[in-house]
Amino acid sequence: MTAPAMEAPVPHAGGAVSQSWWSRVWQNHAPGYLFLLPWFIGFLGLTIGPILTSFYLSLTNFDLLTAPRWVGADNYIRMFTADPKFIASMQVTLTFVIFSVPLKLAFALGVALLLNRGMRGLPLYRALFYLPSLLGASVAIAILWRQLFAGDGLVNDFLSVFGIQGPSWISNPRYSLWTLIVLSIWQFGSPMIIFLAGLRQIPQDMYEAASLDGASRWRQFWKITLPLLTPVVFFNAIIQTIEAFKSFTPAFIISAGTGNPINSTLFYTLYLYQEAFGFFRMGYASALAWFLLLLVACFTAFSFLTSKYWVHYDD
Amino acid sequence: MTVTAPAPRLTVVTDASPGKLLRKRILSVAAHVALIGASILMLYPLLWMLSASFRPENEIFSGTLIPSSWSLDSYFRGWNGLRISFGTFFWNSLVISITCVIGNLIACSMAAFAFARLRFKGRNFWFAMMLMTLMLPGQVTLIPQYVLFRELGWVNTILPLVAPKFLAVDAFFVFLMVQFFRGIPRELDEAAMMDGCSPWRIYWRIMLPLSLPVMATAAIFSFIWTWDDFFGPLIYLSDINTYTVQLGLRSFVDSTGSSDWSSLFAMSSLSLIPVFLIFLFFQRLLIDGIATAGLKR
Amino acid sequence: MTMKLDRRQFLLGTTALAAAAGISPAFAQQALRLIFWGSQARADRTYGVTDLYAKDGGPAIEGEFLAWNDYWPKLATQTAGGNAPDVIQMDYRYIVEYAKRNAIAPLDEFVGGALNLSDFDQDQLDGGKVDGKLYGISLGANSVALMINTVDFEKAGVEVLGPNTTYADLTTIGEAFKSKGVGKAVIADGSVSEPMYENWLRQRGKALYTADGKVAFDEADATEWYKLWADLRAAGVCVSPDDQALDTGPLETTMITLNKASVIPSNSNQLVAFQAINKDKITISNFPRIATDAPGGHYRKPSMFFSIAGTSKSKEEAAKFLSFFVNDQAASKVLGVERGIPCSKAVRDALAPTLDEQSQIALNFVANLGPLLGALPPSPPAAAGEIDASLFRTLGQEVGFGAKTPEQAGPELVKGATDILNRAA
Repeated sequence: MTAPAMEAPVPHAGGAVSQSWWSRVWQNHAPGYLFLLPWFIGFLGLTIGPILTSFYLSLTNFDLLTAPRWVGADNYIRMFTADPKFIASMQVTLTFVIFSVPLKLAFALGVALLLNRGMRGLPLYRALFYLPSLLGASVAIAILWRQLFAGDGLVNDFLSVFGIQGPSWISNPRYSLWTLIVLSIWQFGSPMIIFLAGLRQIPQDMYEAASLDGASRWRQFWKITLPLLTPVVFFNAIIQTIEAFKSFTPAFIISAGTGNPINSTLFYTLYLYQEAFGFFRMGYASALAWFLLLLVACFTAFSFLTSKYWVHYDD
Repeated sequence: MTVTAPAPRLTVVTDASPGKLLRKRILSVAAHVALIGASILMLYPLLWMLSASFRPENEIFSGTLIPSSWSLDSYFRGWNGLRISFGTFFWNSLVISITCVIGNLIACSMAAFAFARLRFKGRNFWFAMMLMTLMLPGQVTLIPQYVLFRELGWVNTILPLVAPKFLAVDAFFVFLMVQFFRGIPRELDEAAMMDGCSPWRIYWRIMLPLSLPVMATAAIFSFIWTWDDFFGPLIYLSDINTYTVQLGLRSFVDSTGSSDWSSLFAMSSLSLIPVFLIFLFFQRLLIDGIATAGLKR
Repeated sequence: MTMKLDRRQFLLGTTALAAAAGISPAFAQQALRLIFWGSQARADRTYGVTDLYAKDGGPAIEGEFLAWNDYWPKLATQTAGGNAPDVIQMDYRYIVEYAKRNAIAPLDEFVGGALNLSDFDQDQLDGGKVDGKLYGISLGANSVALMINTVDFEKAGVEVLGPNTTYADLTTIGEAFKSKGVGKAVIADGSVSEPMYENWLRQRGKALYTADGKVAFDEADATEWYKLWADLRAAGVCVSPDDQALDTGPLETTMITLNKASVIPSNSNQLVAFQAINKDKITISNFPRIATDAPGGHYRKPSMFFSIAGTSKSKEEAAKFLSFFVNDQAASKVLGVERGIPCSKAVRDALAPTLDEQSQIALNFVANLGPLLGALPPSPPAAAGEIDASLFRTLGQEVGFGAKTPEQAGPELVKGATDILNRAA
């Protein structure tokens, strides 16, 4: 992320420029720090402490009810060598991320483009598509999803019209993860709204000028919309990936915290949660969390580094 | 990036040929059909829940979409089902959510402005630190945070839920606003600086007004996520009079005893209304945003 | 969480006022905090008792209740933060963990004084002991039981399960179900039910865990268990694995409520709850026998406990409240048998005539188990909950879905359980 400098105001030519080094530093850097002050207080006061503590806990056995006991790297070693559930949950989570994120973004972008054409009923459609996202953490989701995806559920009723005999999607270990992927995609409202906001920020006169020049809609999309949208695409991709790695509530609600059938819905953070609160191994759970952090941080850093090849900022 | 107007043409190209018009019409209708179809698909689970809330208790899982008999019973029962009326829960949720929105908008836009527009030592480092806070699962910072808030004496109040928002703890919004701010051309800032504007004035007079779309977006998300959050209130609120809607909803369902599904569905449907309204309200800003963006030239 | 706003606020208000004014009436004692899991129905009963207690001159009780899934993280968080409530509802799955770490306090010092347990059932008292010390007071006895849909059995022309029904009989019943077109399996898939496994082991003279916390069954037992259910599954007597996996815990997802099976394993004190959500008449029976001359395998277990937090500053007061809760006859009428059969004989005798029909059935069921009852097993080791949640159920599902054979699963159960126990030690 490069950033051109913003110079602090310098007295106009004609007046004596007599700023000391310190006051220049102050004028250059102070605004940044001042604007950042609330964040600093929050970060140093409320966030960094618990984060560092959680790292410390990852090097201990902490059963929540008594004081932590130092064990060094044991948790990490066990994670990588002796924990089949770690591997299982990693597989489940990676599958989830790889499938749900691109599909979700594709739907979000597609629908946003559709809605951005200024058609009639736009606000209503926008609201309707966003509604599913409002149900996010509701316990009602568990029931709704079972009504849809159980063996005698509505999806199978629909499929039987075409003569397809569907399995019990939600309770079969081969397909249960897919019901969760569908659930995630169903809630594409959030990235869609962000895409819409991004599309709104593209000035209309650019499109007008381009069509006066004879550019087709398709060219306009490729040459104007997409490049100008890349900061937002980048944002959505990063955020959705991070969220997908951390996804917890849908799996928790639908499997009632079990990750079953046969750990097919054992998301990484669900496994972490079980270890922390179910089996009194908060130290191990903290190690799991920090490994996830490392993984996601690497992915994000890589994304930022390669972003300069395709993300187009206006500054 | 400025766009120069093209030289006037001698021949005017029009789209008015009948073939083209018809195609446009068909595309438009097709788009509408697709959208309506997609909407129904998207909304089916919600429609199911809504219809379940009007059903008598023993028919909830019967599977048909249209209930055989309509009754508002579960709404009345659910409203007072927890001895404290849901009105209290709605009010609590409203207070907490609105406060969080205000906190987020103020604090996160300030931080985003700093990251996006101001240069200062260590900026990239702190930006990376901020992003890192997004990546750590909350389950492991829960206990240390709880202990911290206990030391501060904030447990059993709404302060742990609300105060952090004023300190830009939600890295999501900072990041979001950074991306949007970076989409606003720098010439505006530079022009303002030539006129002697301080960073504060630039923030207040230029950046914020041009960022209505993202501010509206942030407000919507902030409200809805706070409204939907149950884990925070679960841990930090013990007095039922301070419960939020989500906490109230969860009390309807207990796996070891009988659950009250119809009340759950009824109250869940009701709880969608405020968030929906907020959404509709802030949508207008999303639309108005384009007008200002066009004007800035 | 319920609050009768007027009374409680009045009480707290007067307490606050009195304290502020420097007067100390009997009310100005430190309020006790209570936390329990359950639904609104249980909360109503519980707060009814706390009201009675306050009327009797006890301190005010600030209660908090949550659903089962939310209860444990919250309690663990509060305990970790040094902020646990005084009176804690406890479950046998967790009591050993909490007791071993002193998160709950031993109650022996209060017995005979603040805590009156003179006519308490001995086995219920023992159920609340860890390492010989009393950590929890049983709030009610229950036993494992089968919930049975009587209407299906009528349709099939078969008698409902009874004290002499064996596992072999299930197959015969299955054939009757098929020929009369009942359209359901007979029984849920019990291979994922740890209580059912324990009962089956006990009938063979084995157990789940030894007194010193080791696995008390061997590979042959485990393999035979999985094979038993594989055969039932193949014959269509028990539900398919897809259907069983729909059962995620809540009563509404059980096979009987979802109309997939007519019989499910459960606990005797849940009869009333099941009847409330099922249209058909539900009755209750013991678990199937392996042979009519084998022991019954049942035992009366505490359904849940009240414990006192290790960090509580009002342990004596809390003990007095506990004593009231389990001994006071007016309180017991409010509580009914929702948490189980009262453990004090005097209370039981006073309560029995006032119960409704369903509660009577539940009450009598436990009392009439007679020869089917055996001794209480030793308290399970600390990691027993983990073995159930993360090993036992998963293995059962794997065999069900064909991912493993019973011959593979049996040894794995033993090895996995031993590993988990060793890790927790």
